[in-house]
Amino acid sequence: MIENSDLIALFTTLKMASITTIILMIIGTPLAWYLAKMKSRFKIIIEAVVALPIVLPPTVLGFYLLIAFSPEHLPGKLWQDITGQQLAFSFSAIVIGSVFYSLPFVVQPIQKAFEQLGDDILEAGAVLGANAFDRFFTIVLPITKASFITAASLGFAHTVGEFGIVLMIGGNISGETKVLSIALFEHVEAFNYAKAHMLAISLLIGSFIILALVYLLNYSPQKIAKMSVKSSNKNRDINKA
Amino acid sequence: MNELSFTFNTLFDGFELSVNQTIPTQGITGVFGHSGSGKSTLLRCIAGLEKRTLGEVTLNGTNLYNSRSRYFIKPEKRQIGLVFQDARLFPHLNVIENIEYGRNRSKHKTLFTDDVIKLTQLEALKYKSVTLLSGGEKQRVAIARALLAEPKLLLLDEPLSALDNTSKQFMLTMLLNIQQQLKLPMLYVSHSMAELQQISDNLLVMNKGQVTHFGNVHNIIHTLNNCQSITQQTSLSLPIHENLPKYGLSSLTLAPNTYIYFPLLTSSTKSETAYNNIRCFIAASDISISRHEALESSIVNHFQAEITHIQPQDNTVLITLNCHEHTFYSSISLWSAERLSLHVNDLIYIQFKASAVHSLADIGML
Amino acid sequence: MTRRTHSHFVYITRALYCILAFIFMSLSISSYASNSDKTTLRVAIAANFSPIAKQLIPEFTKESGINVEVISGASGALFQQIKHGAPYDMFLSADAIRPKALKDNYLIVENSLATYAIGKLAFWSATHVINNTHSLPEVINRFPRLAMPNPDIAPYGYSAKQVLVNFGLWTEFKKKLITGINVNQTFQQIRSKAVQGGFVALSQLKLNKLSGLEIPQQYYSPIKQQLVILKRSSNQSAAHQFAAFLYRKKTQQKIASFGYTAIMPTTDNKPCCEMTTKTVLN
Repeated sequence: MIENSDLIALFTTLKMASITTIILMIIGTPLAWYLAKMKSRFKIIIEAVVALPIVLPPTVLGFYLLIAFSPEHLPGKLWQDITGQQLAFSFSAIVIGSVFYSLPFVVQPIQKAFEQLGDDILEAGAVLGANAFDRFFTIVLPITKASFITAASLGFAHTVGEFGIVLMIGGNISGETKVLSIALFEHVEAFNYAKAHMLAISLLIGSFIILALVYLLNYSPQKIAKMSVKSSNKNRDINKA
Repeated sequence: MNELSFTFNTLFDGFELSVNQTIPTQGITGVFGHSGSGKSTLLRCIAGLEKRTLGEVTLNGTNLYNSRSRYFIKPEKRQIGLVFQDARLFPHLNVIENIEYGRNRSKHKTLFTDDVIKLTQLEALKYKSVTLLSGGEKQRVAIARALLAEPKLLLLDEPLSALDNTSKQFMLTMLLNIQQQLKLPMLYVSHSMAELQQISDNLLVMNKGQVTHFGNVHNIIHTLNNCQSITQQTSLSLPIHENLPKYGLSSLTLAPNTYIYFPLLTSSTKSETAYNNIRCFIAASDISISRHEALESSIVNHFQAEITHIQPQDNTVLITLNCHEHTFYSSISLWSAERLSLHVNDLIYIQFKASAVHSLADIGML
Repeated sequence: MTRRTHSHFVYITRALYCILAFIFMSLSISSYASNSDKTTLRVAIAANFSPIAKQLIPEFTKESGINVEVISGASGALFQQIKHGAPYDMFLSADAIRPKALKDNYLIVENSLATYAIGKLAFWSATHVINNTHSLPEVINRFPRLAMPNPDIAPYGYSAKQVLVNFGLWTEFKKKLITGINVNQTFQQIRSKAVQGGFVALSQLKLNKLSGLEIPQQYYSPIKQQLVILKRSSNQSAAHQFAAFLYRKKTQQKIASFGYTAIMPTTDNKPCCEMTTKTVLN
């Protein structure tokens, strides 16, 4: 059976991944839009910066975040002044770390979808009287819906699997920064292989179920019906004015 | 003040748009030009889709854009509709949702959805997914959508170029109907003179980013005849006289007791608008000249005319004639012109077959 | 690009490729070459001891002619690698558990398991001045949070927990702990000033010339750091030589100066028994 501390680690992990995903969707969408529509050469630089967490070893990112979050340095100090709490080794710290770490996994799918959409259909919306916000919510969003689901599930899954950064900046505090991946590592280090297996298998099953649900949502029954209608229509003669 | 005035001076990739024009916003103004002449760009600038232009646009007294004072009204606020060449329907909405998109965002809603659907004959397709429509159906939806937004001016950018012949005929008739019923001013861009001849009241001609001609459509076509930039033709708007179904012919009144015969009009090709007047054109190369009247010829159309102008062009000669107060153009070989030793003020006879008289009926075939 | 500049460009890139290929080849050849020269001993060493080992090795090499390659890492990680076939000759762990586990898995040379150093615990702060004039309870109570290695998986952490238990401070502080996976991470955390103080290895303080509070040995059981020679090693005699070198009195004195307790050497350069200590336990 799963012991209590592992359950706590599970809830902490889910909490961290959910909050991180929400934050990323909120800041990632305008960023993806900006990158998709931008035409200057700075675009390449910003894209490279966004993609950095993919190639950067998590320990490098974690190392610099550890330094930045300590109350001696500006970000950590600012946080302490504003909130009265220390940033290093807090739940907020691992959320911020996860936001950096999973950023490209959320931004890139959305950016690709926005790019694929192009400008043509938005111009059509504009000449019909829709302003920028209107066009985004009534044209862009409904058409690129699938990419948002992909981005959210990728961001969530990636954050759940995070280890290196949480290890560096987490401090392993139960209920706050001890996440499943750390708990698993601890069991292995302490030779508790049975517990480690238990945890690993539950993680696997859980991830699988979530991903399956997400993809099920993405391919709604209407879409499946449409796809089969389309292929039967190909044979029909529809050449009438 | 019902007019649209615009000035643009901008460099785009490949060409420079340099125009300064005022056109009345009544009826349909055609815009003719070959590809690369800047006509689509002009429409986009008027609609507000090109931000980096230098110039200004004023519609019916309201200033929409002035680059000097950095005054720019966004396209969504200009109440100018634009029907694109590629329809650009919203794939996630069905037909009726697409059509009502503009209406939901317009200030006044005097037009009813059902009326527009009837005008564009889309009743049967109301709830269909737009991705399953044919090219012609898509354009109809695009036009219906643009109409329902009740713009003050409707721009159409080569709306029929992607369609097949039967669709073109149908759509032109429909557009003429719409214009008559809704009194909506339109700016219609095309590279097909045949389409423009049928639909425009005034014609704007563009070449290499500049306006070269503007005026009444028949006059401009005749002016262009002399420049050889289009198929030389005689462009006429004449009242219908009678229909002769037995012979597959209809006739138009050229002058009292003088009629031009041409292929029979069917109800689908006769627009309900121009009840009495039909527009037609005859290619200059289809009109031949004779010193004598051919009374016993199979060619049904022969009339006396006076030569007003002779213009040699390479190995042909363009002859401008006055026939019952209408201007006709005939293009004959240099050799024939010399043989007949034609001079200005000569009275001769012109002849052309009924099938040489083109109207909306055979617009698709051209 | 004009034709001329294009051909220059092509020429330059080709030259670069050639240079790169040459460098690569010479590097690979030289690495082969160095291997065939003398015997090289591959020793996996716990991260907290490897800086000290690196200082001792030159003398050993001068004396014996044997090269030593140090693979430094967390004891846990090194243990797993060895268990799954890593090509090391010796393993110097930071604890006694992992060498024993290797022994239980029949992976070591018989009788090669022995203590090579005894770790000492210290308390350190990067933000406040702490030294041996202070007493531990007084010092600890200044800090809202403490850092220490995870007592469940790190030997220094286990000992640190013993200390807190012995001072009756465990129940109070166990909610305010930042635990690291090993003593090195704890040291990093304190050094970053993200947490104000905690338990580290005395050797870390000595190595970095820092001052802290050395915790009296009676409050925790000695942290035995043990080594093993691996059965699969093909350099076993060289490994024995290195082990003997480590047990030597002179070497142990040096090790002690780095913040460890020396083991009691014997005359035949074999380890005997560790220094007895008075221990007050749990």
